[in-house]
Amino acid sequence: MSKIGVYICHCGENIAGAVDIAEVKKYAGGLPGVALVRDYLFMCSDPGQDLIKQDIKDGLVDRVVVAACTPRTHEPIFRKAVEDAGLNRYLFEMANIRDQDSWAHWHDKQGATEKAKKLIASAVAKAALLEPLTDRYVDVTKAALVVGGGVAGMFAALDLANMGYKVYLVEKKPSIGGNMAKLDKTFPTNDCSACILTPVMVQVGTHPNITLLTYSEVEAVDGSIGNFRVKVRRRQTYIEWDKCTGCGACVEACPAKVPDEFNEGMSNRKAIYIEFPQAVPKKAVVDIAHCLNCAKRTFGTQPRIHSKTGEPILAPCEKACPTGACDRSLSYNPDGEIIELNVGTIIVATGYKVMDKAPFKEYSPQSPNVLTAMQLERLLSATGPTEGEFKRPSDGKKPKTVAFISCVGSRDKNHHPYCSKVCCMYMLKEARLIKEKYPETNVYIFFIDVRTGGKDFEEYYTYCRDLGIKIVRGRVGAVDELAGDRLRVRAYDVDMAAPVELEADLVVLATAIEPSPGLEELGRRLGITCGSEGFLKEVHTKLYPVETPVKGIYIAGCAQGPKDIPESVSQARAAAAAAAVPLTAGKVLVEPLISEIDAEKCSGCGLCVPLCPYSAIGMVQHGDKLRAKIDPALCAGCGVCAAACPSRAITLHGFTTAQIEAQIEALTFSGGDLNV
Amino acid sequence: MSNAAEAVPEVINLSAGEKGFVDEIKALGATHILDCIQCAKCAAACPMALAGFPFFNKRVIQAILLGLKEMLLDDTSIWACQSCNRCTEVCPRKVNPFEVMQAMRRVAVREFALPTLAIEGIKSLYDVGHAVYLAQAHENRVKVGLPQKPPSTVAHPTALRELQALLEQTALSDLGIIPMGKSGVKESCEV
Ligand code: SF4
Ligand code: SF4
Ligand code: SF4
Ligand code: SF4
Repeated sequence: MSKIGVYICHCGENIAGAVDIAEVKKYAGGLPGVALVRDYLFMCSDPGQDLIKQDIKDGLVDRVVVAACTPRTHEPIFRKAVEDAGLNRYLFEMANIRDQDSWAHWHDKQGATEKAKKLIASAVAKAALLEPLTDRYVDVTKAALVVGGGVAGMFAALDLANMGYKVYLVEKKPSIGGNMAKLDKTFPTNDCSACILTPVMVQVGTHPNITLLTYSEVEAVDGSIGNFRVKVRRRQTYIEWDKCTGCGACVEACPAKVPDEFNEGMSNRKAIYIEFPQAVPKKAVVDIAHCLNCAKRTFGTQPRIHSKTGEPILAPCEKACPTGACDRSLSYNPDGEIIELNVGTIIVATGYKVMDKAPFKEYSPQSPNVLTAMQLERLLSATGPTEGEFKRPSDGKKPKTVAFISCVGSRDKNHHPYCSKVCCMYMLKEARLIKEKYPETNVYIFFIDVRTGGKDFEEYYTYCRDLGIKIVRGRVGAVDELAGDRLRVRAYDVDMAAPVELEADLVVLATAIEPSPGLEELGRRLGITCGSEGFLKEVHTKLYPVETPVKGIYIAGCAQGPKDIPESVSQARAAAAAAAVPLTAGKVLVEPLISEIDAEKCSGCGLCVPLCPYSAIGMVQHGDKLRAKIDPALCAGCGVCAAACPSRAITLHGFTTAQIEAQIEALTFSGGDLNV
Repeated sequence: MSNAAEAVPEVINLSAGEKGFVDEIKALGATHILDCIQCAKCAAACPMALAGFPFFNKRVIQAILLGLKEMLLDDTSIWACQSCNRCTEVCPRKVNPFEVMQAMRRVAVREFALPTLAIEGIKSLYDVGHAVYLAQAHENRVKVGLPQKPPSTVAHPTALRELQALLEQTALSDLGIIPMGKSGVKESCEV
């Protein structure tokens, strides 16, 4: 008979405030196999753990049940205590009587007490059947994958590369740089964005440990921490990048016009294009959907020969290309190529997308003079559509009155309920840039409230007020188009306690920060979920902000939620540090809480094979039959297979059928009513 | 005293706001007006906000920031400020809201937008040296054993002339809001 020790935690008032500890203690003492019961104010404290250790050392208990908070944060602590006292760490079980009981039933003390008894009974029933298990280690591939080449991804990649690890940096766009590359200046220092970003891009592009995979996307991810197998699809560029020098001759020659994404649609680019002047790598790509196939030069065909000159008739791009990188005779696979990578850890830093203005009918999005803040950013930038000259799109005149509208799509249950966090500051920044360059401009910012928290930010705000930028508190209700390309902004000034209206030449909408398109799908491929707002979810907001539920996969930057540049960089470097830990250790602990197939019982039906979300199960020859077999390095211990196996051939260690059944029995049949 | 309903038009047209009004107010003494973040602490301390005057300190500041000069001139609230200076004591941004009130009054005076009561006060100040002076109080003073007139400009014609000479040197005399010239002093400050 096992000697089970039950340790009930008060968690200060957290548990003891709802659960009658004395009553539960008495009840637990009567459960089969229980040798002793103790309670303590904080079981996780040193003296609390010492209680357990002492009892084990004294030979009083050989299995431990702690009834306390959540195993998510505290199981490792108690397992370690058990192990330190000389017991196998898996002879431990936890009952969550806080999150699942006292917190949930705070106003039903009687019910909470009864439920605590049930939960403890169930844990004790399982504890009696626990078996010692042995931890295993797997070797770690000393390479990392960073998904997303914006400022967060670049810093994460650089840090890992500088530690000596091989890094693959996958970026969707032709160049790295992300949204930051589009910005004119950056708050709170008003550094020129390109000036501080370009050197970083160059470092990333030339780092011997970094392999840049731009114009590429993650297609599939297999495996687990230490050994991820990643399939990356390198999209077809229709240009031989080894030969392309980024001279831009082809771009000059191309007649096709397509709205330029980099300039937020404020100007046109060509069908063959280099994403922006500082692009890294600086290579051309052909936008096949918009290519005119001039001179009937579709890819993979031989040029027609000019009847008079006898020369081949080439497309302008092809003709202009001095290196032969743009060769339309080559037949390209439109699907691009698949590159397979082996990495030990992964960092996801896919950034954000600026919300479009179209949904905001009340703000006249059809007017060319109603811009998103990102469009204004391009308008103010020296590399933008007007080379930094502040002109309004409808007539090229310098706007005299500019109105900024905050929280467009943010703090709005019709769109995004969250605060996008950076808009207050970027509006102030843009307003300031305008006001500093053209002091005679009237600049109004309509805020709900100004959120400029943190070092140097309030000072920035005050400075802007001092510049004479006018702040009106009140959300704008309407922007109407007036004759003469003017716009009328209507709001209610909370401070004047009166409705106000303003005629403006240019209206700027501070649209929300949204998750990048496809983030949810990428999350699914990686096994990470998104929150209701669509950003990737970290394991724990406070204590594990860069970790995800999938061990070995970390997140950074706006993929996790709206952030400014300093925050994105800090988080990226934090993620790099976290991702480097397994790489440095060279091996990772694999908990033995994984499934195993008893080949004798297995009927070879193969049902489990497609069910396993980690592709850990394969069919192997066993004697003269095919039997399922689990690769322990890949199994994550989810238990899907064990639950599905019709032959009961699969054992999930730590959660055996006998253990689970004992728990269910304890919950459902052992005395007392459970009306909670 | 006007009430809020007539002071505030239905919709305030910000485009009609006077450009440079803030600078004018700054030059007239409200040096730190742009530091105001409309937190309303001054309004919470102001007796005139409590008394229901439409343009109390914080609101006057916002109106000035938006250039709503005409609106302020159409209303006499600023004259209700008690000069108690509580606002200045409590303002977390050192805006000195009372100075804003003063500056706004200076604007109002320049624009002749001052209420009769204020004119009477100025006239009384010039005539006797007190903004508020009750001649009927003489009897009561005698009854309680005080001299008929207080020992101020009222009782000292020379001192009164000095004061008048000073007032004649101010912007007030150029505006001609009240008749001046009694001191007989022209170009020098000797009386
Ligand atoms: S064929 Fe070449 S030049 Fe013509 S549209 Fe396509 S990319 Fe441009
Ligand atoms: S428990 Fe089964 S289904 Fe889950 S990962 Fe392991 S083998 Fe796959
Ligand atoms: S207390 Fe100062 S900062 Fe606050 S509203 Fe009044 S003047 Fe403005
Ligand atoms: S000084 Fe005037 S504005 Fe300031 S609190 Fe007193 S009455 Fe109000």
